[in-house]
Amino acid sequence: MSVKSQIELLLREAEIYRSQGLLVEAKGKYNVAVDLIGKLDQAKNKEALIQAICRKIKSLTISYHQIERAQEAPQMPPKVQDLVKNLFSFSQDKDEDKAALEGAITLAKFGQYDRALEEFSELTKKDSLRVVACKNILRCCFSVYSPEEAVERYKKWLKDDLYSKEQLQKIRLFLEDLLEKKGIEIQLPAVLDADEATIDQDRVDEDLIDISSIGITFEGGPQKGQMVEMEVSFQSGNMISLIVSSKDRELIESLKVGFRLNDVQFFSPIAIFQGSGIVMAKTKINSGPKRGDYSLDIKIVNT
Amino acid sequence: MAIFNLKKRVIECKIVYYGPGRCGKTTNLEYIFKAYKKQIKGEMVSINTEGDRTLFFDFLPIGLGKVKGCDVRVQLYTVPGQVQYSSTRKLVLRGVDGVVFVADSLKVRREKNMESLQDLQKNLKEYGSSVFKTPLVMQFNKRDLAAQGIPLMSIEQMARDLNRQLKVPYFETSAFLGQGVGQTLKECMKLTLQSLQKQVQWAQ
Repeated sequence: MSVKSQIELLLREAEIYRSQGLLVEAKGKYNVAVDLIGKLDQAKNKEALIQAICRKIKSLTISYHQIERAQEAPQMPPKVQDLVKNLFSFSQDKDEDKAALEGAITLAKFGQYDRALEEFSELTKKDSLRVVACKNILRCCFSVYSPEEAVERYKKWLKDDLYSKEQLQKIRLFLEDLLEKKGIEIQLPAVLDADEATIDQDRVDEDLIDISSIGITFEGGPQKGQMVEMEVSFQSGNMISLIVSSKDRELIESLKVGFRLNDVQFFSPIAIFQGSGIVMAKTKINSGPKRGDYSLDIKIVNT
Repeated sequence: MAIFNLKKRVIECKIVYYGPGRCGKTTNLEYIFKAYKKQIKGEMVSINTEGDRTLFFDFLPIGLGKVKGCDVRVQLYTVPGQVQYSSTRKLVLRGVDGVVFVADSLKVRREKNMESLQDLQKNLKEYGSSVFKTPLVMQFNKRDLAAQGIPLMSIEQMARDLNRQLKVPYFETSAFLGQGVGQTLKECMKLTLQSLQKQVQWAQ
């Protein structure tokens, strides 16, 4: 086959691939054609031909990038969203609420997050579906917004009377897991018992003295029955901060946020008293001489 | 998964057109929509995006009349072929009763055909099914392009690449011209109904 015929065939192929939407293949053929034309010594309008093909290559590159940049899951019209819910909800559950939940999950799976979030929010009003609806809201937040948005939602639910302590604990654990999987370190506020959070706290706040150190006796785990003493590095009202050495791995692991310490001795310059506390935050120290150690915030809830 | 309503004597089943991007899956459904108007039970739904690519799926409900006294309704779907839409492809494949694998005859798409068949096998496996057990028909599409001098794979080569182990019925087609589209669907329907018949003994 003559070079001219080869070039003609390449250009014809490239044109067909382009019309078929096979942009990479079309570009490949155009490039080979340009190379071949470049090698011709006495081609008529050689430069003009190369320029024309290069313009086509450029146009293909633009189209390719437009496709690559296109939104992966654009919002469908509501009618199509309804169809998707209908076609891809498989359980045929006769329970209306459960069917609604499955529909919302289907929308989320197809990337229809705005409507899915609306439907999940509506489902949080149903006690039996509240936890699963909240978990799905958190998943959507991770997909479409950010982990911070998920944390904000959780904080909002903490303040809402609608949620029981048990429900909040489950949601918190789920969110903690999501954050951990993403390698994000955000300290989530603990779920407090309504009584602990108000009545007891108020009483403790009233007449709390300066605490210099504490002794925690563990009720379970590898340190069961042992008392571990730690110095208080900072105190603000009923909130004390402690530094836990990075070497105390067992201790760091057992003192999870939300963990209730039922047997704590509080040492002050004038008295020793017994009480309980809740681990409110655990933060790794990233700079300074205590780098690698953990700062632990404990709220004194009963003395 | 097919729905049997023996009381109303209705069978509903799902056939999915699978294959690499731009192989002609949507073109198949478009042709069926135009050519089998009488059997069409609703609108064809397509959600395309930049570059006219299928983004989620195409959906076309058709009626196939009565088989052994039962009204047979079929839902035809396509999947998005582009590699990045893997999760959507898997979602659409859920509950499938029969598959039409549309392979692109263009030589330059050889690898993509094989990748897509692997992807189908993987997704069916994840649903606890198997590409060997699912009613499957193959289409070697775009045969019309040979007339324009475009390099195509031979049927033998395509069968070797894609159908050596599966040994399923295959058709040379041009979805663009409608050639072989009806035969492919008919064969897939036949295999699907045979498979469903094994699952449920419907009343005579």
